[in-house]
Amino acid sequence: MEVLTVEHLSFTYPQASSPALEDVGFGLAPGEFVTLCGATGSGKSTLLRLLKRELSPRGEQSGRILLCGEPADSLPPRQAARTVGFVMQQPEQQLVTDRVWHELAFGLENLGLPRELIARRVAETAGYFGIADWYDREVDTLSGGQKQLLCLAAAVAMQPALLLLDEPTARLDPIAASAFFDTLRRLNRDLSVTVLLSEHRLEQALPLSDRMLVLEGGRLREDGAPRRVIPRLAGSPALLRAMPAAARMGAALGAAECPLTVREGRKWLGRHCIPPAGGTDSSAAPAVNPDAPAAPAARSSASAPAAAPGACAPAGFSGARRESAALELREVWFRYEKQAPDVLRGLSLTVRQGEIFCVLGGNGSGKTTALGVAAGLLRPYGGGVRVFGRRLRAYPGQSLYRGCLALLPQDVQTVFLRNTVREELADAGTDASALPFDLGRLLDRHPYDLSGGEQQLLALARVLASSPRLLLLDEPTKGLDAGARENLIGILRDLRNAGMTVVAVTHDVDFAALCADRCALFFRGQTVSEGTPEAFFSENRFYTTAASRITRGYFDRVVTVEQAIARCAACLRREAADADD
Amino acid sequence: MSLASCNPAVAAVCLLSAAGIAMFCMNPVILALSLCGAVCFSLLCGRAGEGRWHLFVALLFVATALVNPLVSHRGATVLLVVNHTPLTLESLLWGISAAAAVAAALCWFRAFSRLMTGDRLLWLFGRFSPRLSLVLSMAFRFVPLFGRQAKKIRQTQRALGALREDSAAGSFRGSARVFSVLLTWALENGIVTADSMAARGYGSGRRTQFSVFRFRRADGVLLALALLFFAGACIPLACGALDTVYYPRAALPRLTPAALTGYVSYGLLALLPAAAEGWEAIRWKCLRSSI
Amino acid sequence: MRTIESPRLRRLLRVLLPALVIPALVLGGALVLDEKRQMFTAFAVAVCAVLLFLAGIERRQIGARRMVLSAVMIALCVAGRLIPFFKPVTALTVLTALYLGGEAGFLVGALSALLSNFYFGQGPWTPFQMLAWGLIGLFAGLLARPLKKSRWLLLCYGLLSGVFFSLVMDVWTVLWYNGSFDAGLWLVAMGTALPHTVLYAASNFAFLWMLARPIGEKLERIRIKYGL
Repeated sequence: MEVLTVEHLSFTYPQASSPALEDVGFGLAPGEFVTLCGATGSGKSTLLRLLKRELSPRGEQSGRILLCGEPADSLPPRQAARTVGFVMQQPEQQLVTDRVWHELAFGLENLGLPRELIARRVAETAGYFGIADWYDREVDTLSGGQKQLLCLAAAVAMQPALLLLDEPTARLDPIAASAFFDTLRRLNRDLSVTVLLSEHRLEQALPLSDRMLVLEGGRLREDGAPRRVIPRLAGSPALLRAMPAAARMGAALGAAECPLTVREGRKWLGRHCIPPAGGTDSSAAPAVNPDAPAAPAARSSASAPAAAPGACAPAGFSGARRESAALELREVWFRYEKQAPDVLRGLSLTVRQGEIFCVLGGNGSGKTTALGVAAGLLRPYGGGVRVFGRRLRAYPGQSLYRGCLALLPQDVQTVFLRNTVREELADAGTDASALPFDLGRLLDRHPYDLSGGEQQLLALARVLASSPRLLLLDEPTKGLDAGARENLIGILRDLRNAGMTVVAVTHDVDFAALCADRCALFFRGQTVSEGTPEAFFSENRFYTTAASRITRGYFDRVVTVEQAIARCAACLRREAADADD
Repeated sequence: MSLASCNPAVAAVCLLSAAGIAMFCMNPVILALSLCGAVCFSLLCGRAGEGRWHLFVALLFVATALVNPLVSHRGATVLLVVNHTPLTLESLLWGISAAAAVAAALCWFRAFSRLMTGDRLLWLFGRFSPRLSLVLSMAFRFVPLFGRQAKKIRQTQRALGALREDSAAGSFRGSARVFSVLLTWALENGIVTADSMAARGYGSGRRTQFSVFRFRRADGVLLALALLFFAGACIPLACGALDTVYYPRAALPRLTPAALTGYVSYGLLALLPAAAEGWEAIRWKCLRSSI
Repeated sequence: MRTIESPRLRRLLRVLLPALVIPALVLGGALVLDEKRQMFTAFAVAVCAVLLFLAGIERRQIGARRMVLSAVMIALCVAGRLIPFFKPVTALTVLTALYLGGEAGFLVGALSALLSNFYFGQGPWTPFQMLAWGLIGLFAGLLARPLKKSRWLLLCYGLLSGVFFSLVMDVWTVLWYNGSFDAGLWLVAMGTALPHTVLYAASNFAFLWMLARPIGEKLERIRIKYGL
């Protein structure tokens, strides 16, 4: 019997003109792992919430939802709560109590189970998830990844038959996200928990999935094994963009069964694209940013003929160059408290005017701290910071933040003060017409009612109101779907072309590969390497894009999926031509 | 079995009964015993920073003791006359006793705060008031969360150039701005917490209270002792055997058997926390030497 | 446990019980105990009043959203006390009461006092603070309509409740110190607390002046959006 059966489900929000979901039908067999894909606004969250009775939004609903063969509405409240577990996006706000053990027990307490049984289940769950070590801690002392694991554990402690997850890793860094997926996979394999997951980060989710469901405009467009479904998406670039790099290459090059992981991608490449003798070819290498008016390598070599394009630039620049530096950190040392360890250890970094500079690095490598130091929010105890050639101290009062430098924080909700987008823009002293992007249709909405991508744009508008020449961004793509990310990249390029300097700190290697002019890698509060994206990512082994990992050894200097597809296509063409001869 | 490791209910009874009697009884012997017990306990489980706290209490003691003779001029024994206003011995004695009562209560309540950490206290509340204790438990978690968020908001707003901190009015306005952003954030995100509660079956029926605290035999012994001593002190107190007269002439109550029982019982009650602490330390030393 | 069926009778009891028990305690205290034990009576009254009110709220079926909202407001009161120049407990309690009802006001006021004393020190003053802040919220809830209409009335209420709070705490200080009420000591206590009282009332006034409207709008939005 199926764990979940959905038949002809339609749903319309009150006062909405069109339905959010239309005639959706599918079933989940016990132990299946299913990923739900679709762009923002395609109805993923609505569908998941309708499947969890306690969280059903209000509105007009038709069709049937069966849980283990019974209509979901007819289940007694406790059974309904127990059968379906739900994990949301925000790790911090999902926790209810202040201690780890109490959080694990919370759901079981609500079910009214006897104390001995709760004690046993809590202990078992803590052991399985490896959280026995922090059993007594206050949840406040946990990291984001630990909090999200705790949320998962708390849901699983109730022993649900079906686990619904609504973008659970959107707010986590890549390492924590991997740990989360590993646990999820283990749960699915060991306990045969049925999983329905909606996710942006398909690179990791799809290889685990037995099936994928694709929602488009509230309708279920595809339902089947990922390898079969992805080639069928070839006509919809918006949906395809979110897929794993290997799958995108496969789909674009007409594979019947898409590869999903890097390993499978390499295998597929080995079978179909034999690179010309000599191992590498550079004839067909396209520019990194095909639509940028001036390729960065060309620009930097024009202004500094001595520097070989793409070579790792030395950190310190001589006097003549310093004038053109938008931001310069020299031997910066910083720690948060007297007794705390150093976060920045002699960090040196130069960002030239008019470039997009991406800073990559693991958690705790000092990326965000460096941004705070550059913005004058944190004061280093050693070293110097110059913005456009002037020391930070030389900017009196608020003049640094007026027309010079602006910082877009990681948590954009720390920006919003007003009740509508219009008021928010007015508060910043700007209006929608002055922006390089369109917010026109959002003007009367509340900032918190916007989607993640729209919130990001509103915050960016708020930050750009002071017309800065140097824009600092902290994790600008966190929680954004593929479409919103593409949009952001376009905006950043436009800003750069208009003369703005952009520094972005990010975990998102694909974002950096697509939009950076130069990248730097941070490790333990220092830059360890620096260069153009092609050079940077093709020299890195681990900290690089999936496309680069797939094509390594076959093609040189390929970092984005587009480049990889172009090179493979050329190679396939040649092969076809050879066959014709 | 020290109070820090025993059942929260037992610890609460021990500390509150000792503090309660000292709050409502102005007998100098009881007050001296109370102060002695509280300071002993505080020294035994002392940590860094205790020295400054004791200094603060000592200063407060002197100050409060001196207020009464300066304000109240009741009493028969005049010590000296300043500016035609008499300073009396009785009023000074009353001041010292009141100061001792205040100092003892401060010490007891500080010990109480330190021993009854959030989770222990919530467990205690949860027995009587499951809903409100859950509200408190959530609030407990929110406070540091909001504090951190407020810090982030302040940085963001500063980088937006929205904070002008050059004057007091500007600072106040800046704080108001930060607070307003924080409030929206907290309210909007609070709904996620509510959803997460509902998703885990909150409100689906009567809840159980799960806890990691147990009631062991030693807890029972400690509780029985505390209640016995409390009753032994309360009965003479209620009968008036410990009533002390301050005005017009100060006099201790007569040392009747009832009064003696009261003193002994209260003395034991006040020293119980310190004794439990010491007993635990000694026992641990013995146990550890056998590891 | 047997429950009273009629909701009207229940509501009547909830109002009457505090109204009967507290005067009975005061009267009993005055008759049985001598003058020196006024403090004991006062303490017992405060504790009983707080417990009765809270028990009334506990008995109500509060939904998860309302509970979280109360917890958020309580935590904001406490976190606000940690922000420099800010003592928002009174003002926030009043605003909560205006938009979410007097009972929520009492809850937020009383529990904020309890919770913030975990950071600023518990003591025998805790029940008095709980009662004073709780009552400020309760009365604001009763006066919600006029207070929402007139900004000046709201500001006056804020100012007065700030003063009321300080006076109540001064009475308790005197009772604690002296055992019975003493006008001379009360004047001394008020005198030493005067700068604090003035600062407190002023900060209440400024807070309500600047934030009453925006916070009101935000609470109203939440109330509508989440169907409370």
